[in-house]
Amino acid sequence: MPSRNSILADLHTIDDPEMPISIVDLGLIERVEILPHPPNGTADHADVEIDILPTFVGCPALDMIRDLVRKKLAAREDIDKVKVNFLFDPPWSVDRISEAGRDRLKEHGVTVPEQGSRLPVHDVPKLTTQVRTSAVPCPFCESRSTYLDSPFGPTRCRMIYYCDACRNSFEHMKRL
Amino acid sequence: MPIAEHLKPSLIELLLAAADDKLMLGHRNSDWTGLGPILEEDIAFSSLAQDEIAHAQALYEFLSPIAGKDENELAFGRTAEEYRCATIVEPHDEFDWAAAITRQFFCDHFDQLRFRRLAQSNHKPLADLARRIGAEEQVHIDHADSWMRRLGRGTTEAKQRVQKALDQLAPLAVTLFEPVDGEPALVKDGLYPELDRQPMFELWRREVDAVLKDAGLSATFTDVDPNRKGGRRGVHTRAFGELLDEMCEVYRIEPGAKW
Repeated sequence: MPSRNSILADLHTIDDPEMPISIVDLGLIERVEILPHPPNGTADHADVEIDILPTFVGCPALDMIRDLVRKKLAAREDIDKVKVNFLFDPPWSVDRISEAGRDRLKEHGVTVPEQGSRLPVHDVPKLTTQVRTSAVPCPFCESRSTYLDSPFGPTRCRMIYYCDACRNSFEHMKRL
Repeated sequence: MPIAEHLKPSLIELLLAAADDKLMLGHRNSDWTGLGPILEEDIAFSSLAQDEIAHAQALYEFLSPIAGKDENELAFGRTAEEYRCATIVEPHDEFDWAAAITRQFFCDHFDQLRFRRLAQSNHKPLADLARRIGAEEQVHIDHADSWMRRLGRGTTEAKQRVQKALDQLAPLAVTLFEPVDGEPALVKDGLYPELDRQPMFELWRREVDAVLKDAGLSATFTDVDPNRKGGRRGVHTRAFGELLDEMCEVYRIEPGAKW
């Protein structure tokens, strides 16, 4: 019988197709359901059902994530069928990203809003008079002399900030 | 709550209108990829296009089991008369930046209200999806509003050009509010409830006017004509036909092809 922990360990080896972070650390996995069969007592096999929360509606990486999850789990001797569901309740949020995940993203120049923080009003880009300090510390030099350069970035879940201190641009995960 | 059988045809109309608006707007936005006036806006319009088309896709997927067609067929396999998008998303902006921003501004404020209404739907799967789409739309609103202010308070030329775009597009903006057939029943049943029992057009006009006033701009809107035979009833402009032909060119070579 597959255990929940061993399934999560397998899922942990799958990286998000667009970012250097495991789908578990990104907080995509909402539920792991193990359905043993035969259902009475002696089952050593099971089907599994995984509920995944998309970061964004219609994220282009979703089909790939579903395939990777299916392939990984179906390769196990003790798992037969794998079903993947995408749900919007509860909604995914940046607060679901684990500490390890935050560290890993930061190494790659992507910062994550602080736990429970709200998007400060002054971080809405003021195109006429840009406020050049923000609540978002630079992942490279820790300075707060940063500003939101664009609320749109390389993927739909990321924004672009610029650091005046070290003159690097960096990415920040979008809080909805 | 499951969807009552007799309301399904009207719900299909309503959600096709939402999805078709977004699909067309997304395609118009994608024209700016590589041509945005500054790099940030090149990225912004490409992202807006991705958002709108992704939202359209999610709505077609939601509709798929109700309409009995797969999402690609819904997006690309219909005749022009079967589309329900409003007239404002149809004309090309002729690469006039002021027109592109103004169109986005009108449509974003409309969409935010539309998805706030759907988020209060008594059909939970629809409400969950709508709440998520609405949250993603907030960035669009901030973007459009800040550009209206920037252009309105900018140089004389900037102000003149955005005011001209407002004058041209305001009469088309009201086409967003033309109802689909059967809409009153959806409101009454709670699938598409009103916000605070107020007409959406008034809420929208108040929001839009507040931003325009702050930007030193103005727009005059005529009343919505609920009986007009426009996009919501499948009557489209020539520009729509051209866009549709371009958009569906690949699909029509081999309908149902698997990629």
